[in-house]
Amino acid sequence: MLMQTLAHPTVLQLDAAGIRLGTKSFGPFSLHISVGERIAVLGPSGAGKSTLLKLMACECQPATGRIWFNGHLFAAWRLADLSRYRAMLPQSSDVAFGLQTDLVIGLGRVARTHDTGLSDIVRASATLAHAGHLLERRFDTLSGGEQARIQLARVFAQLWDAREGLILVDEPLAALDPGLQFDLLDSLDAYAAARGHAVVAILHDINQAVQGFGRLLLVKNGQLVADLPSSAEVVSALESLYGIALRCVCDQQGGLVIAPLRKTVRRPT
Amino acid sequence: MKALAAPLLVGGLLLGVAIAVQCGAVPVTVGDWLGVFGLGGTGADAATGGAYVLWSIRIPRALFSVLVGASIGMAGALTQGLFRNPLADPGLLGVSAGAACAAALTIVVFAGLPVSIPLSWRLWLLPAAAFGGALGVCFSLDCIARWITPGSIAGLLLTGVALNAVAAAVIGLCTYLATDEQLRSLSFWTLGSLAGANWVLVVLLACLLLLAWWRVHPWVHAMNALALGASVAAQVGVDVRQLRSQVIVLVAVLAGFSVAWCGMIGFIGLIAPHLVRVWVGADQRQVVPLSMLMGGLLLLVADTLARTTAIPAEIPVGIFTALLGGPCFLLLLRGARGRMG
Amino acid sequence: MHGLDWAAAHDLSVDAVRRKTCLQWGAVVATLCGAPAYAADARRIVSVGGALTEIVFALQADADLVGVDTTSLYPASAQALPSVGYARALSVEGILALAPTHVIATEDAGPPAVLRQLTSAGISVAVLAANHRFEGLIERIRRVGALTGRGAQATALQQAVQQAWTRAREPIARRRAPSVRVLFVLAHAPHQMLVAGSNTSAHAMLEYVGASNAIRRFSGYKPLTPEAVIAAQPDLVLLTDQGLKAAGGVAGILRLPGLGQTKAGRNRRVISLEAMFLLGFGPRLPAALSALDAAMEQAMRA
Repeated sequence: MLMQTLAHPTVLQLDAAGIRLGTKSFGPFSLHISVGERIAVLGPSGAGKSTLLKLMACECQPATGRIWFNGHLFAAWRLADLSRYRAMLPQSSDVAFGLQTDLVIGLGRVARTHDTGLSDIVRASATLAHAGHLLERRFDTLSGGEQARIQLARVFAQLWDAREGLILVDEPLAALDPGLQFDLLDSLDAYAAARGHAVVAILHDINQAVQGFGRLLLVKNGQLVADLPSSAEVVSALESLYGIALRCVCDQQGGLVIAPLRKTVRRPT
Repeated sequence: MKALAAPLLVGGLLLGVAIAVQCGAVPVTVGDWLGVFGLGGTGADAATGGAYVLWSIRIPRALFSVLVGASIGMAGALTQGLFRNPLADPGLLGVSAGAACAAALTIVVFAGLPVSIPLSWRLWLLPAAAFGGALGVCFSLDCIARWITPGSIAGLLLTGVALNAVAAAVIGLCTYLATDEQLRSLSFWTLGSLAGANWVLVVLLACLLLLAWWRVHPWVHAMNALALGASVAAQVGVDVRQLRSQVIVLVAVLAGFSVAWCGMIGFIGLIAPHLVRVWVGADQRQVVPLSMLMGGLLLLVADTLARTTAIPAEIPVGIFTALLGGPCFLLLLRGARGRMG
Repeated sequence: MHGLDWAAAHDLSVDAVRRKTCLQWGAVVATLCGAPAYAADARRIVSVGGALTEIVFALQADADLVGVDTTSLYPASAQALPSVGYARALSVEGILALAPTHVIATEDAGPPAVLRQLTSAGISVAVLAANHRFEGLIERIRRVGALTGRGAQATALQQAVQQAWTRAREPIARRRAPSVRVLFVLAHAPHQMLVAGSNTSAHAMLEYVGASNAIRRFSGYKPLTPEAVIAAQPDLVLLTDQGLKAAGGVAGILRLPGLGQTKAGRNRRVISLEAMFLLGFGPRLPAALSALDAAMEQAMRA
């Protein structure tokens, strides 16, 4: 059982970590994540965002470089202990057999040998993920958006009683309607803030990234091209990242909205 | 209704055993039952009497069919959990064929070797060979299942078809090369039979099953995590590689020993867990133990039918399990058609 | 005969002997108590194997027969007896239901587990193989005579069979003509045909009749290949009646690939005899030899 000191400033540190998948090589990535940070990862399709997230989650072993989690090398952690401090929500995940949703949520805590209050935690996690009404149903009878919410609830349940851990989410909001997207982002933020968890999220929506997350990692062609705080100054970096023109507007409340510029204006027919 | 599953199955099993020991070619009376328990009557020592048949033939056979059914049911539930696939079954995936193939090779090849093997070893040689064959097939399946499209049911079943075909070809070759005496032993493997049941085997298999249950029951909840996919299972703290190898060894032991002692009995490993899942849901913590009970009940029924339908002859039990299981499998395929791929 | 000597002669376990003794005592006690019981030395015999059933009938011990297997078709009255099923897939309860004291079986009987169970039930199980030899038949007659308690009849039968055999072999031994090359085909279905190599009962019969087995390069029954048939150059094709029917008659046999290029195929020389008669190595063996010889001569002349 690893002993954790109460305040450890760096949750995750990558030191020139790189990996080769098939013919493409990703990295080297060097960065560190502090306790309680909010980080969004942006980049074009195929840039290596998911690969970076997998490296951070210890799902792939880096071919070069090293990765420390809470001060210890990933290789030194036992899988069960690691699962108490780090949770990942992959982009898509298929659940075989049509398990019950409460069982799926509870599986986040499967590595714990003595687990009191499991059903309460499951229920609270589901409520937080706006999926409280989906308990007692079979997973394979849910829609895409509902399944995404149950998976998020699983992540919540996994790190429910941990402090200063790491949550990694890969496009968690893709199948959700806009209203639900904002609700879930707020829930995720509140959940993580209450426990001091750091959150790293891959998003495609620039505004969500800029508004909800304090730091942006821009990934292109398998390299980390920028690591900057999110503010109005990111616009030019984003433009070169996606290769499109962006414009900023201020909305009525004074908030920043970044929108892509189209080449030609489409006239309403 | 779900909570009643275990008591109902246990009750069904007890009733089934009681009925099964009453049925058979030799008529059995109350006096014979008394004799079995030493309370008078005709006495269990009178050979060919009803009491002898009860004690030395029917009761061991009924218990043996329950135990073999339980081990096949458990192997089926574990295989399905391991490959995340309700259509996986040690028979369909070629595990039983691998075991039979190894046994056939042993019969034909070992007999030709100039090495003399003591008789007591020879009794264990076949089960050991069958276990080795089953283990080999299980590991091959696991490797193959990891590089074909993950979660592809069709891919896994096709791999099983291929492995079944290879094993059948090897058995065919052994049949070709075998002498008359070896042929007689070989023909035993292709259609299952529980005729060899005796008290020694019953006790051995009971111990094996208890050992298997003791090994597997800490992992059944972790096996639920496998349903989420290997990478998510690792994320939630399950050592997938270790779990996989341990489960494979257990499936190989269970399938291998049942093939070694009874030949190939198909479909029970497929149908028993499926019926249990329809009844109580897919939580492995219930599916694995209840599949044992359901498998035992199914094989007991099949064996009793096999023994009594064509008295005085005995139809191989594999025919009945295929007759029961084939249509059930087709129904399963129909239900799974939306999820094939 | 004292129980233990008898056991030694028949390879029984001591345990089984004890059981048998208990049975005998139990039967005696039961008789004294007035319950219906069999006489202590009454035999109830189950015969597995057509040839052995024939021997039992020939020794006039058929009154003791309580069950036969599916290959026991001769004499016709054997078919009226209860059947215990196919020799290779016996059912232990099916046999026990007939309450036998002896089971006489050919080497084909199985599964082995059932034979073990019968032995441990106290039934004397005797497996009598003929090993494709005439001497094997003589030995079978002697052993069946011992098992059925018909020693005198067995000796008489042995002498009769020996004389018939000598008579049947005489013209064959005298013959100077070169031996006929015969191909024996074992057919279960039109596309499942095996040929007999050496070390089979068919090969033995061909040797006895002075013919030569066209297939010598392997032993046992193996599948037919057209090239092997042509290379074998048989003068004559021999089958069992059942096999000929299964293969679709003479026309079916003549259609076999490769056979057309042989003398047997060109001259349409196909003969058949009944399976148990030809290959059983039962008491009709001398008659079978003569019948085979006559059939071959007729076919070769035509």
